[in-house]
Amino acid sequence: MLAMVNKVLDWIRSLFWKEEMELTLVGLQNSGKTTFVNVIASGQFTEDMIPTVGFNMRKITKGNVTIKLWDIGGQPRFRSMWERYCRGVNAIVFMVDAADEEKLEASRNELMQLLDKPQLDAIPVLVLGNKKDLPGALDERQLIERMNLSSIQNREICCYSISCKEKENIDITLQWLIDHSKAQR
Amino acid sequence: MKTNKKDEETGGNVYAHLDKTSVLQEARAFNETPINARKCCFILSKLIYIIQQGESIGRTEATEAFFGVTKLWQSKDVSLRRMVYLAVKELAEVSDDVIIVTSSLTKDMTGREDLYRAAAIRALCKITDTGMLQTIERYMKQAIVDRNSAISSSAIVSSIHLMRKSSEVVRRWANEVQEAVSSDNHMVQYHALALLYQIRANDRLAVNKLVQKFSKNALRSPYAVCYLIRIATRCLVDDDQPDSSVFTFIESCLRHKSEMVVYEAARAIVSLPQTTPSEIQPAITALQMCCTSPKAAVRFAAVRTLNKVAMAHPNAVMSCNVDLEKFITDPNRSIATLAITTLLKTGAESSVERLMQQIAGFVNEISDEFKIVVVDAIRSLCSRYPRKHTVMMPFLAKMLRSDGSYDYKKAIVETIIAIIEENPDAKVAGLAHLCEFIEDCEHDNLSTRVLHLLGREAPKTPNPSSYIRFIYNRVILESTKVRAAAVTALAKFGAQCVDLRPSIQVLLKRCLLDSDDEVRDRATFYLKMLTEAAEGLIHNFILDGLQVSPSGLERSILDYLRSGSYSSPFDLRVVPVTQQALSQPEKRVPQLVEEEEKPKAPKVEPYAAQLAAIPQFAALGPVFKSSTRIALTESIAEYTVHMIKHTFANAMVLQFECKNTMNDQLLLDVSVELEDPDGEWETGNTVQIDKLPYGEVHSAFSLLEFPDSGAISGSLGAILKFKVMDVDPTSGEPDSDDTYEQTYVLEEVDVNVSDSVQGVAKSSFGSAWEALGDDATREETFQLSTVENIPDAVKKISEILGLVPCERSDRVPEGKTQHTVFLSGVFRGGYDVLSKATVAVDPNDNSIAMNIIIKSNEPLVADLVISAVV
Repeated sequence: MLAMVNKVLDWIRSLFWKEEMELTLVGLQNSGKTTFVNVIASGQFTEDMIPTVGFNMRKITKGNVTIKLWDIGGQPRFRSMWERYCRGVNAIVFMVDAADEEKLEASRNELMQLLDKPQLDAIPVLVLGNKKDLPGALDERQLIERMNLSSIQNREICCYSISCKEKENIDITLQWLIDHSKAQR
Repeated sequence: MKTNKKDEETGGNVYAHLDKTSVLQEARAFNETPINARKCCFILSKLIYIIQQGESIGRTEATEAFFGVTKLWQSKDVSLRRMVYLAVKELAEVSDDVIIVTSSLTKDMTGREDLYRAAAIRALCKITDTGMLQTIERYMKQAIVDRNSAISSSAIVSSIHLMRKSSEVVRRWANEVQEAVSSDNHMVQYHALALLYQIRANDRLAVNKLVQKFSKNALRSPYAVCYLIRIATRCLVDDDQPDSSVFTFIESCLRHKSEMVVYEAARAIVSLPQTTPSEIQPAITALQMCCTSPKAAVRFAAVRTLNKVAMAHPNAVMSCNVDLEKFITDPNRSIATLAITTLLKTGAESSVERLMQQIAGFVNEISDEFKIVVVDAIRSLCSRYPRKHTVMMPFLAKMLRSDGSYDYKKAIVETIIAIIEENPDAKVAGLAHLCEFIEDCEHDNLSTRVLHLLGREAPKTPNPSSYIRFIYNRVILESTKVRAAAVTALAKFGAQCVDLRPSIQVLLKRCLLDSDDEVRDRATFYLKMLTEAAEGLIHNFILDGLQVSPSGLERSILDYLRSGSYSSPFDLRVVPVTQQALSQPEKRVPQLVEEEEKPKAPKVEPYAAQLAAIPQFAALGPVFKSSTRIALTESIAEYTVHMIKHTFANAMVLQFECKNTMNDQLLLDVSVELEDPDGEWETGNTVQIDKLPYGEVHSAFSLLEFPDSGAISGSLGAILKFKVMDVDPTSGEPDSDDTYEQTYVLEEVDVNVSDSVQGVAKSSFGSAWEALGDDATREETFQLSTVENIPDAVKKISEILGLVPCERSDRVPEGKTQHTVFLSGVFRGGYDVLSKATVAVDPNDNSIAMNIIIKSNEPLVADLVISAVV
């Protein structure tokens, strides 16, 4: 009974305190962006995904926060369009395949190019090193070094190492995101 | 009060006076959060509206708007989403990077919301290219066989659109489409049948099978049956030996329970070529049934079809005359007009007056479009019953006086001109009506047409001076264009009527003071000619127009100027001539008369640029004449070759258009080898095709010099030579670098006299004939065994010689046993060739004899030309 009352209270509270945030998820192809969206939305992990042609729009509700998520394809021909979807969002999530050494440099270049855009000034960035379950995956420290993240001074930047497959560190990622819903645009 | 006024101004249309910039400005609302669905819907409809109105949006602006629209995917509002699909389709062509919505559309198309799915498929097919199509192929196949008919239909219709760009991919869906044909839904069945046909359209055998199959197991959808009838009709028309079961199927559809199918079948049967009266009869009966339908649309369709075929099957249509008579009072004026014009076409001479009276009753109530139909009917009537022109002319004149559009007036003027040309009795009355018309004509084009006609025809009438006042009035009152035409018309009177010449000179002198220099120039030139020049010159320069192709003249003059040496004067004889004088307007064919299939004479121009680009042939000068495309292979051969003969002053260039229809072969070094068995003709320069991939058409060229012996005709053996490289049919990549030589025998190449002669009509043959003198005259008499009547003989002789008939002398009055035709043309090098050919039928054994006289200003040319017939 008490649980029931609590739920109703929660619901009423959410009506008043409902918050909305907008996120854009970018990164090279096959780094696990769409998989990440599926994991935080429904907790399901799928091994074989088809490449995203264009973008997926998802709305996810966590507690009293509604997250609007733009998941943009990572193939080269879509990269020029990332910026259009990053304008004015609460935070940019940049996905990196931590186990793919070869693409790391390309990944760094794309990130730097994106953050150079004046329209995206001061938008917080969360860099996620995905696939930490794979052998040889880089951890946070190595990633920060290899991605040269310490050079970014003009905005808030954070880096987590996660695994969508093992659902590791997904909770802290979500917490970071929710914390930034209140950040002013 | 104020708001009312404003409403009136905008006419209640909120979309009127939309400004592109402000709409694009408003479109920024798409980027706002949260989305206001109602507002965005309204902005989207404005955006779509301005695009539909033809407003052009720049690429950057369109792309900006498009990405704004993609942001609307976050809204779950159903009507907004559907507007988004529409907007995506509109922006697909003008915006960059539209593939960005592929993933989202794919999701909507496979999702659970049925309201999204059909529209998402349409949008998706609009934005994909061939490459992306493969990634959505699986979903398309599923959608085609979807249980929901709207979704299935939209997938099939989208596939029909995709056939244009990516037919290869769509062809792979044939199994699914086949399944969809058996759908219970009428629309799905219809659309699927259409797609299935398009997939197989290139394969005649498969199309035949398709017709056979579906004509047996009855299709439920009447739309599909109608479509099948159309396919079947095409099969019957295209096939040389059509299957009789196909016709039986169409005929059986006459008993279908749907009115639409019955009409479609009837229409198909009556429009088929080569049908017997007994085959037509049931179809006509069906149309007659349609005539009694309470639905105006069905009646209209039936009477329109009857009208169309009235000329082809007059007797069959006549049986419906009773029904058609009833339609004259039909409240629908379009039906009434078509009924009357049909009756005019089939009716007896005696009923013409009555029908004309009835038309006069309501001609002011119908639209211009139908008035033109009436005019055309009158025109065909006049050629059938020439004596009726006394009824028709006043009627046309009355129509000419009433208000109407340019097209309508043009149709009437053309009809009157046609009647004048066909019927000498009507000439005086017709010219009088036209004179009256130009007194108050707001269309310069028509005024100049009439003035030109007056200049040509009026001097030959009994009383030419009566027309001069009408023409001179134009010089005083009209615009520059008309004044110039009037001056020319006056000069033609002066040239043809010697007794009027002094008064014409007085009038032309007054024109010298005109405000426009074109008018003054013409007047000065004509005045000089008429006062000083000899009779022959007057004929050449005033009566005969310049018979050169305008673009050819331009090119030749340009070449002359570029050469920079002006020691020798510009020679007009090097300019390619055309059959039509510059001043001759093209004839309009009345819409109701079935167009005759005539092989059109090719223009020199399309090839001239192609030839000029080949350095080997640059020295040959301008093209004198290009022949029609002649097939040297059967149309279904592995390699097809068409030949075009280009004649120059001293040589011929043969152009071979080769097509490779073998998808597993790449042809290299393709050339055509010519061999003359008599050893007279020799091949000069050749241009080969380096590479001829599957499906492409390229041209090889061979140069033939006219032999010194003076021969201008001959037959040459032709062999196509090439190297074959085997390639992979799908990718076009060569399997290996190995090639092997191959030859392919073509049909013989014939060079005829007519290749050296360009037909050019003289407007006054008699004076030109006199002017040539008797030095180079050749005469020949012979029997014609291959033709059976005079008109055929006339046609044949003009074909063989390449000359064209003058002064309408090719029209053979019926029942005559003897006829003389005047032919004229130009031999390459610019020599005139004239000919009088008299054809006579021997009443005893119906054999045909011909006496032909050929004159030229060069004896050698006369010899060459006469050699063509002996």
